[in-house]
Amino acid sequence: MTTTMTHTAPTSGHTPKVGIIRHLNVFTAFALGIITAIVVWRLALAYLPENAETAVMTTREDKIALLSMIGWFVGFMTGIGALVAPFRWVMGKDLSHDENMFLAGKDMGVKRYFRYTTDHKVVGIQYLVITMVIFGIGGILAMLIRANLGTAGGGLIHPQAYNSIVGTHGIVMIVGTIIMVTGPFGNYIMPIMIGARDMAFPRLNALSFWLIVAAAIPLIWGQFLGGISTGWSAYNPLAGQAPLGMDGYIMFICIFALSTMVAGANITTTVVRMRAKGMTWNRTPIFIYGVVASVALALPAFPVFFLSQVLSAFDRALGTSFYDTANGGSGWLYENLFWIMGHPEVYVILIPAVAALMEMAPVFTRSPLFSFNIAVMGIAGISGLSVLVWAHHMYISGWAPLLNTPFMLTTELISIPTGMLFLVLIGTLWRGRLWITVPTMSIFALLWNFMIGGITGIYLSDVPADAFLHGSMFVTAHFHYTLMGAGLTGALASLVYWFPKMTGRMLDEKLSWISFWFVQIGFNVAFMGMFFVGLQGQPRRVEAYAAIFSKGNLLTSIGAAAIMTGMLVLLAAVIGSWRSGVKAPMNPWQAKSLEWTVPYPVPLENFETLPVVTEDVYGYGRKK
Amino acid sequence: MATTTRYFAGPWWKRQDFRRTGILWLILTPIIGYFCSEIQVAAMGAPASEVMATTERLMRIFTWAASPVAAFVAAMAIVSLLGKRHHGSTPPPDSEDVIETSPKSIAVWMVSSALLCLFALVVGMIAIQKDNASLLDAEAIHVNVTGQQWVWNFDYPGDGGVRSQVLHLPVDQPVVFHVTSKDVKHSFWLVQLGVKIDANPGVYTETAVTPNKIGTFDVRCAELCGLLHAYMQNKVIVQSKEDYEKWLASQPNTGVTTWTEPGAAA
Repeated sequence: MTTTMTHTAPTSGHTPKVGIIRHLNVFTAFALGIITAIVVWRLALAYLPENAETAVMTTREDKIALLSMIGWFVGFMTGIGALVAPFRWVMGKDLSHDENMFLAGKDMGVKRYFRYTTDHKVVGIQYLVITMVIFGIGGILAMLIRANLGTAGGGLIHPQAYNSIVGTHGIVMIVGTIIMVTGPFGNYIMPIMIGARDMAFPRLNALSFWLIVAAAIPLIWGQFLGGISTGWSAYNPLAGQAPLGMDGYIMFICIFALSTMVAGANITTTVVRMRAKGMTWNRTPIFIYGVVASVALALPAFPVFFLSQVLSAFDRALGTSFYDTANGGSGWLYENLFWIMGHPEVYVILIPAVAALMEMAPVFTRSPLFSFNIAVMGIAGISGLSVLVWAHHMYISGWAPLLNTPFMLTTELISIPTGMLFLVLIGTLWRGRLWITVPTMSIFALLWNFMIGGITGIYLSDVPADAFLHGSMFVTAHFHYTLMGAGLTGALASLVYWFPKMTGRMLDEKLSWISFWFVQIGFNVAFMGMFFVGLQGQPRRVEAYAAIFSKGNLLTSIGAAAIMTGMLVLLAAVIGSWRSGVKAPMNPWQAKSLEWTVPYPVPLENFETLPVVTEDVYGYGRKK
Repeated sequence: MATTTRYFAGPWWKRQDFRRTGILWLILTPIIGYFCSEIQVAAMGAPASEVMATTERLMRIFTWAASPVAAFVAAMAIVSLLGKRHHGSTPPPDSEDVIETSPKSIAVWMVSSALLCLFALVVGMIAIQKDNASLLDAEAIHVNVTGQQWVWNFDYPGDGGVRSQVLHLPVDQPVVFHVTSKDVKHSFWLVQLGVKIDANPGVYTETAVTPNKIGTFDVRCAELCGLLHAYMQNKVIVQSKEDYEKWLASQPNTGVTTWTEPGAAA
């Protein structure tokens, strides 16, 4: 397989011979996906026997729904062109040079963003746009939740729809936050930062992005089949009795898990094998460590997630009883599988966001990163421990009370490597010359939010305290503080920081400041209110609440409105600046990492000659 | 990597930035500890059992234990932010006398976080031990709790076949709950009594509490259980022993009780 390409420009007069690939794009993908889904649906309707069910629950509809969604998936991936290269390879022909260049997006046109393009920069932009779309959808759903909770009685939205909105908001935001740093910046910036021409497996890179698009449709489809009324965790047996919308959730998770696994293998290989000459591990920027730790954690976590949903699909459609207690299954099995994915997954979200801010801290304080080794140690420690803590989500489930103490131990141990990350950040800020920008203030915002998220995590890690707090709004506020207060803050700072490299223009400074303050203040108002009602005893995922919770919920709604305002301002800034912002110089922040040594637009293979690295990127004010 | 040891040479504690940080730290620690713990405990409300009192004590302990760390990070951040600042579209010159690493401060930081971690663990283990012991209390009465979409049913001890949807408990009497579910997973939460345990279909889970205050408190479901999850709540009435006995005797035999001899259910 040809994974690296050389710059042999075709001689003039040479017409590139590009076969069927030329005609495949997102439109053919949607067309073929929809047609295949309809065909499979009609076939299933015609040939799946009625009244032949042996299981208690009706499963014929589930079979039809799942088969149609699989049809969509296969049709879409064929239509986008994911199968062309493997098919050719099996036939012993492989893609021609012209075809590879076409796939890489050699023409540099707008159309390459709508094709199966392998250039990591195109994939990065695609990820950036889809992340923004995902946050937009998740944000609208969040506002619907707040609208329903505007009064204690609720009742604005039907409970079934409300539960589905809560579940969809959850899973959509989880996916959005998983890809928000490693997607756009891990794909666009990371290969340039390590001095590589592209990813190790460019076609897998395109695959990982288009799998997300393929995954999105079953989730949207599911909304019309009764929705996901189970919360994002989709606990069984509740998921077993949920309407057909669950099948959409199952397909969504399976395809998304595939995407994450593919991206994880690709990014890990790229960083391990393709760093520039001289970029030893000690000279590798901390952001790279964050990205690799994140995707490498996804490698053990997401196959389990995939499996948990496959078993769920079997239960629903084939009458098995993995999770069906009445027939020998166990809901605890699902909970275990789910959280074996679920806890590494929160660090998949958090680590790259914190690492991105650690990458920016030296640039904006004009001083070296404080104790690089401790930063690496902290990331490694969190990654290692995070696979050993899953059952702290199950303290009160009754599954294994004897395991509560060991899991309390591993969970509390995580505070040590997490503390290292704090030390690195405050050590870098200390005595630095602070260049006041949005990323700089984002570091302070992260320290504030993550401190609150971390300390409330200690309460939750404690078994007796968790017996009060579990399942309450306190938990919801806690993980919003970590994933949003820390994670999203890092991602938004990354957007401001790398926007000039990705679009060639500076992000509007005034608007990004306005957005920053709206989001940060709104966020703290919203989720302080949520902590309060959680401590008062308001359960999670309720569509109505007792009168004593009114004040805290009002605060949350006001804060949420402020967050929405801030995010809309940021959207306006992004669109405005992308179209007609101030042209950015090559290195607007005067940073020392490699991505700032390439011009905009970044050439197809990034570097004319591959760079040779002689020192780390944090040498600000360092005595030679 | 180069280590700047010069920074800690001489009487570093006399430096202005260290002094400022130290003073801020000393001021912020009690403020954070006091306000954060008091606000949280105030939100949790007056405890109606020893378990809840322990939980509130734990919240106080953890907040106070974490406040020096939070105050330290806050002090460092504030002093840094009030230090040299630069506005503009071009970067400031590089910082002077930079510190790339400091083994001493790293060691202090790691040892203190490890000690705090150990402290949290021990405190938690003691509380767990107490909760576990209360499950085996020979004096306890046993109440069966059955969750179903979307009500709680309580079956009381004795041959009376008493079943209710409002939980009645005698004050100062240890109670062990045997909790199960008829359909999906629920979570049995006695809010002001501070206990919660999941209700799983097909199995029994146990939790124990001794209410020590007469009054009416809340029972809620803390696990999303379908359409009317928000409304799966009721009251727990803690009353004097005589009132409880009177109430129990006045209840009809519903004939649907699931109550069995303690242990048999588990």
